[in-house]
Amino acid sequence: MEFESRYEISRTAEFIRGGNFTKAALQFPDELLKDSVRIVSSLRDELRRVGESDAERDGNAKDASLFVMADTAYGSCCVDEVGASHVGADCVVHYGHACLSPTSKLPAFYVFGKAPMSVSDCVKNLVDHAMTSGKPVLVLFGLEYAHLIQNIREEVVEACESRPQLEIQFAEVLCSEMNPPDKQNICNQGMVPAGILTDDKSFETLPGTRYGIGGLVWKLREGRKMEDSLLFWIGSDNSAFANVVLTFNGCEIVRYDATENCMVTDFSQQKRILKRRYYLVEKAKDANIIGILVGTLGVAGYLRMINQMKELTAAAGKKAYTLVVGRPNPAKLANFPECDVFIYVSCAQTALLDSKEYLSPVITPFEAMLAFNSRTLSVPHQLKLNISSTRDTQWTGAYVMEFRDLITSSLTESRSHSKEARFSFLQGGYVEDFDNQENDEEDEEGALALANATEKALQLRDTANSLVKRTVKSGAEFLATRSYQGLEIHNKNSLPEPYLKGRSGRAAGYLDEKSEKENF
Amino acid sequence: MVKFTGEELRKIMDVKHNIRNMSVIAHVDHGKSTLTDSLVAAAGIIAQEVAGDVRMTDTRADEAERGITIKSTGISLYYEMTDEALKNFKGKKEGNAYLINLIDSPGHVDFSSEVTAALRITDGALVVVDCVEGVCVQTETVLRQALGERIRPVLTVNKMDRCFLELQVDGEEAYQTFQKVIENANVIMATYEDPLLGDDQVYPEKGTVAFSAGLHGWAFTLTNFAKMYASKFGVDESKMMERLWGENFFDSATKKWTNKNTGSLTCKRGFVQFCYEPIKLLINTCMNDNKEALWPMLRKLHITLKSEERDLTGKALMKRVMQTWLPASNALLEMMIFHLPSPATAQKYRVENLYEGPLDDAYANAIRNCDPDGPLMLYVSKMIPASDKGRFFAFGRVFSGKASTGMKVRIMGPNYVPGEKKDLYVKSVQRTVIWMGKKQETVEDVPCGNTVALVGLDQFITKNATLTNEKDVDAHPIRAMKFSVSPVVRVAVRCKIASDLPKLVEGLKRLAKSDPMVVCSIEESGEHIIAGAGELHLEICLKDLQEDFMNHAELIISDPVVSFRETVLEKSCRVVMSKSPNKHNRLYMEARPMEEGLAEAIDDGRIGPRDDPKVRSKILSEEFGWDKDLAKKIWCFGPETTGPNMVVDMCKGVQYLNEIKDSVVSGFQWASKEGALAEENMRGICFEVCDVVLHADALHRGGGQIISTARRVIYASQLTAKPRLLEPVYLVEIQAPEQALGGIYSVLNQKRGHVFEEMQRPGTPLYNIKAYLPVIESFGFSGTLRAATSGQAFPQSIFDHWDMMPSDPLEAGTQAAIRVADIRKRKGLKEQMTPLSEFEDKL
Repeated sequence: MEFESRYEISRTAEFIRGGNFTKAALQFPDELLKDSVRIVSSLRDELRRVGESDAERDGNAKDASLFVMADTAYGSCCVDEVGASHVGADCVVHYGHACLSPTSKLPAFYVFGKAPMSVSDCVKNLVDHAMTSGKPVLVLFGLEYAHLIQNIREEVVEACESRPQLEIQFAEVLCSEMNPPDKQNICNQGMVPAGILTDDKSFETLPGTRYGIGGLVWKLREGRKMEDSLLFWIGSDNSAFANVVLTFNGCEIVRYDATENCMVTDFSQQKRILKRRYYLVEKAKDANIIGILVGTLGVAGYLRMINQMKELTAAAGKKAYTLVVGRPNPAKLANFPECDVFIYVSCAQTALLDSKEYLSPVITPFEAMLAFNSRTLSVPHQLKLNISSTRDTQWTGAYVMEFRDLITSSLTESRSHSKEARFSFLQGGYVEDFDNQENDEEDEEGALALANATEKALQLRDTANSLVKRTVKSGAEFLATRSYQGLEIHNKNSLPEPYLKGRSGRAAGYLDEKSEKENF
Repeated sequence: MVKFTGEELRKIMDVKHNIRNMSVIAHVDHGKSTLTDSLVAAAGIIAQEVAGDVRMTDTRADEAERGITIKSTGISLYYEMTDEALKNFKGKKEGNAYLINLIDSPGHVDFSSEVTAALRITDGALVVVDCVEGVCVQTETVLRQALGERIRPVLTVNKMDRCFLELQVDGEEAYQTFQKVIENANVIMATYEDPLLGDDQVYPEKGTVAFSAGLHGWAFTLTNFAKMYASKFGVDESKMMERLWGENFFDSATKKWTNKNTGSLTCKRGFVQFCYEPIKLLINTCMNDNKEALWPMLRKLHITLKSEERDLTGKALMKRVMQTWLPASNALLEMMIFHLPSPATAQKYRVENLYEGPLDDAYANAIRNCDPDGPLMLYVSKMIPASDKGRFFAFGRVFSGKASTGMKVRIMGPNYVPGEKKDLYVKSVQRTVIWMGKKQETVEDVPCGNTVALVGLDQFITKNATLTNEKDVDAHPIRAMKFSVSPVVRVAVRCKIASDLPKLVEGLKRLAKSDPMVVCSIEESGEHIIAGAGELHLEICLKDLQEDFMNHAELIISDPVVSFRETVLEKSCRVVMSKSPNKHNRLYMEARPMEEGLAEAIDDGRIGPRDDPKVRSKILSEEFGWDKDLAKKIWCFGPETTGPNMVVDMCKGVQYLNEIKDSVVSGFQWASKEGALAEENMRGICFEVCDVVLHADALHRGGGQIISTARRVIYASQLTAKPRLLEPVYLVEIQAPEQALGGIYSVLNQKRGHVFEEMQRPGTPLYNIKAYLPVIESFGFSGTLRAATSGQAFPQSIFDHWDMMPSDPLEAGTQAAIRVADIRKRKGLKEQMTPLSEFEDKL
C-alpha cells in the first residue's frame, strides 16, 4: 500500500487547512517513529500544494509549521496535549493506535494506519461462527482495520443473502477527529455509519441502547442485552481487546487474528485477569493509605476524577496522596512503601496494570469505587452494582474501564452508618475501619499522628525492636514506625567530619572493586 | 418434664460455689453424647427411658445421621442434691442446688477446634474412655489441651456393658483392662502436669474415676459401693473405697482382707468381689429373664420397679433395673460436684493462663476472685447459628462482673492491641440468653462463672473476642485460644451463576463465624478459598455453606488444594549478587537452611519478633548453636513478620546499612510469602546479608531501588541453595483388628504412607497403628481404607509436620518438578520457573 494513503496525508492536510491551524504537533508512538520524517515531508508538500491553490482563491496563505512529538509521558494511545502545548501547537495529529479518549484543550486528528487483512478469509470465519453459535453477532475491530470494515460488510451482505436468519451487526468508529468538549461538536467525519444489516433503517433513529468502548459505538435494539450477543473481534490481542473482554465479561467472545488468519476462542487468561482484579478490589478494601497516580494530563475530566477519588478515599476514612510519576513502573512506586494501594487515573487502555511486579497493587478508579464506596451509586446502565445491606459494595462482575462513565455516577446520597463491621477476606475476619467510629477525631489525629505514634513507641517496651508493620493511617505515622527515619544528627559533636575520599569509577564496578571482580 | 424453671436457674447462677462448668471430651465414638444424655435426663429435659438413644446434644440433622458430634453444644442443668449425697462434701457450698453448665464436644479429630472452644469456657472435663478401646490418639490430644488450659479432669471408663454382654470377660481380666486404661490416662496427665493445678491424675479409690454404661444409663463410682458395704463391714467409707481398688483381696470363705491373692479359689480382688460380680449377676439374671431370682435381689438392693416396668424383658428390663439401681446421673454428678472445681476455685489458678495484661490490675483480680461486682470480663469462644437465618449468638463465659441486657460493651477482637483502636468496637448487648435444653431463656443478666449467649454482637465478632465494660479502656484482652489442628486442606469455591457472588460472599462470612477453625480467604488469583482441618471438616463446612448460608445456591467446588512450603537443602553454593534497577546499588546474600527445630520454635512462638533480644539470643545460642552476637543481628522474620524464615545481617562496616534495612525487610516479607519455585510460602530459610554496595546519594538508594532488589537477591540465593519443596504430612492413627492389618498396609503403601508404630492393645484383639501420610494423598483415604478392610479400620488424621520432598524441583521430570508445575498452573503463573539469571546479576 502506498505511503500516502496509509498515513492519509491528504485528509490530514485538509484537517490542518480546514481548521486554519498554524502549528500542528504530530504525535508518534515509538513503533511509527521511523516513518515520521517521511510523513512530515510529504505532509508539508501536500500542505504547500493545497495552500497554493487556496492562496490563489482568497490570498491569505500562511504556512502551518509541523512538529514531531515522540516518547510521550503517559500512554501513547492518548493525545499528549501537554507536550503539544510546549511548542504552542493548536492542533494534534495522532498516529497509530488510539484510545479515542476525549481531549480537553486541543482538537485532534487521528490517523489509525491501515493494516492489511484478507477480507474474504475474515468474512468466511465470521459467517461460519455466526452460523454455529446461532446468536446475533456483533463485530468489533481494532482501529487499524477500520478502513476495511466497509468491504467486509459488503461481503457479509452478499454471503448472508442465502441465510436470512443470520444477524450480524457492525460497530462503527466514533470519529477520526476530536474537538475539545467546549466546542461541543464531535463530528463524524469521513466514516460511513455502519448501520444494521438485517434492518436497513437509519441507525440514529432506531430505539435502543447505545454502547461504546475504545472509540467504537453501536446500538442494541430495545429489550436486547449485551449478554445475548456473540462478540467477534477483528484484530490483535492488545489492550483494546483486553478492555472489551473485561467490560463484556458476560458475553461469548471470539477473536479473528488478522495477521495470522486464524480464530482464537480460548480466553481463560483474560477471565483470570477479571478474577485477579476482584482480588485486588478485596485487597484495596484493607488499605489505609492510598496513592492516587496521575496517569494522564490530557483525557477530559481527569481532574474531576482525581478530586472524586480524593473525596471517595476521605469518605472511606483513608488517607490519600496524589502522585505524579509519569508512566508508573515498579521501581518508581516502590519509593512510596507507605501506600497500600495505588489508584491509577488514566485512559481506559493504559489503566490496567498487571501489578504482580509491584509492591502494592495498582487499581482503576472503578475498582476503587467498588472497594471504598459505602453508599449507593447511581450508575450507568451497563454497570450493575449490587448494594447489599452491609457497607460492602458487592461486585457482580460488571466492569467499567473508562472513568468518564464513573463521573456521571452521582455521589449525592448521604452516607449511612452501617451496622455491620467490614469482613476482610484477606484476613478472614472482621476488620474495623478507622472512620467507622471516630470520624470527628480524624483531623486532629492526622495532625498529631507523628507525635502520637512516638508517644506510643515509648509506651510499648518492645516497639523499637520489633519490625512489625503496624497499621498506620498516614505517611507521618509510617515514618514513625520505620527503623531509619533520616539523618541522625549527633549534637554533641559539632566538629565537621573529616574529609574522606569517595569511590571513583562507574557503577558497573568501581575502581576499588577491580580486585574483587577478578575473584568472581 | 423439665424439673426446673428459668428463675431457679438464674437464681443459682449467683451462687458461685455451686456452679460447675464442665466439658465432656473423648475420642470419637467413646460415648460422650450418649453419656451426656443421662445427665440431661436426670434434669428432666428428656425422659429417662430414652436417655442414651436421643443424643440430645446432637442437634443437627447431619450429626444424627452420621452418628457423630460435629459442633459442641452447651446446656445448663439444674439439680437439687440431697443432704445425704452431699454429707461428705468438704468444699464450699451454699444450699443443695447445683448448676452444671455442660458442654458436649465432638470427638473426631477434624473438629478439635470445637473442643478447644469448649475447654476455654469450662473449668473441669469429664474424660470418657471406652473400656475396650482404651486411650486413643484423640483422647490424648484433648487431654493435653485440657491440661494446657488448666482444666481439671475426671475420668469415666465407659461402655461397661460391652464387658458384660459382648466380651463376657471375667472379673479379674476386666479389672486389668480398666486398670490399664486408667494408667494410660494417668501417664498422659502426668506428662502435662501443671504445678498450679496440682496432682491431676485420677484414682478410682478417690472417686475421680467412674465406670459407666452410657447406652444403658447406669454408672458407678467406688463411693456407691463403699456406701453400701461400709456399714456391713463396719469401716468408714473412705477405708472401704481403698479396699475396693488395687491390691486388696477378700476371701469370702475366711472373710479376711489380704494384700495379695492367697491363691485360694474363694479369694478375689475387692473390686471383683464387691463391684463387678454383683453387677454381672444382676445383668445376667435380667438378660435371662430369670424373674424368680430377680425380685428377691431387687428387694435386697432396695430397688423398686413400677408395675409396668416389671413386665419388661431382656435388655429393656436390664436397662431399667440398672438405671434404677445405679443411675448414671448420680454417680457422675457426685463426681463432678465433689471433684471438679467451681468457677470460684478454678479462676484463682486459671487467671494467669487467661489474662494477657498485668496480673495485679483490677481485671486480673476480678477474674481471680470471680467477683460478680467487679468489672466485666467475658470471653466469647464461639458463635452459634441462631434459628433466625444468618444471625449468631456469641457464646462465651463470664469470668468476672455481670453481662446484662442492654449494656454497652467494648469488643476486643483477636487483633486488638492495647492502646490502639484496631479491632475494637463499642456496641450494646441486645439480649443475654441461657440455654435450657432445647430452648433458650432470656435473662436480665448473667453473673460471672457462667456460660452465656449474647444477641446483637454477631456483626462485630468473627470467631472470638473479649468483652469488657464500655468504660474500661485499660483492660487487656483474654488470651486467644490455641488450636491443636491447623487448616491445611483447602478448596476453592465459586458460584455457578456469576451474579450469585454477593450470596457467596455473605455465605462465606457466616461460615467463617460458625466454625472456630475454618478460614475463608481469597487467593491472589481471585479465588475464594475455604480451609479446614481435614476432609470431613471441609465436607461439613461446604454443606453448611451451601444449605444454610447460601439458600442452596449452586456452587462449583474445586478439588482439594494443599499448600506447600519452599525451603533449601544446603547453604548457597556461592554468594549471589543483584543490582538495583539503576545499577548503583548491589546486595550480596546467601541462603542456608535453619537449624533443625528452629522453624518449629518460631511456629510455637518461642522465638519471634517480639522477644526480648537477650532471651532470644540465649535460646539461639544454647539450643541451636548460634553465635551470641549473631543472634542480635536478626533483622526480621517473615512472611507476615512472624513466619519461620529470617534475615540476618552478616555485614561488617558497611555504610548506610541502617538506611536500607526497612527496604530489605519489605522485600523479604514479599519474597518469603511467594517463593521462587511456585510462589508458596518459604519455610526454614535463613538469609544472610553478606555485603552491600550503596550509592553515596540517598536519593538513589531509596525503597524503589532496594525493595525489588532485595526480593531478587533473596530469590537468587534460594535458587542457589538447592531449593526443595516441603509437603504437609498427617499423623494417622488407625485402630483395627488383626485381620484388617493387611488391607491397612497395602492402602498406606499405595498412598506413600509409612507405618512407624504398630502395637497390640493389651487384652484386646485390636491393633493400634501409627503412620505418616502425605496430606495430598489423604483425600479419599478413609473411604479406601474402609473398603480395603471391610469397614473395620477407622483412621484419625492430624497434621503433624512438613516433610521435604527429596527430589530436586529444578531438575525436569522429577516428582517435585511436576508438583511445582501443577501449582504454577493452578495459580495461573508462567509454566516455567523464572531462571536464576533473571535474579542474579554479574559484576
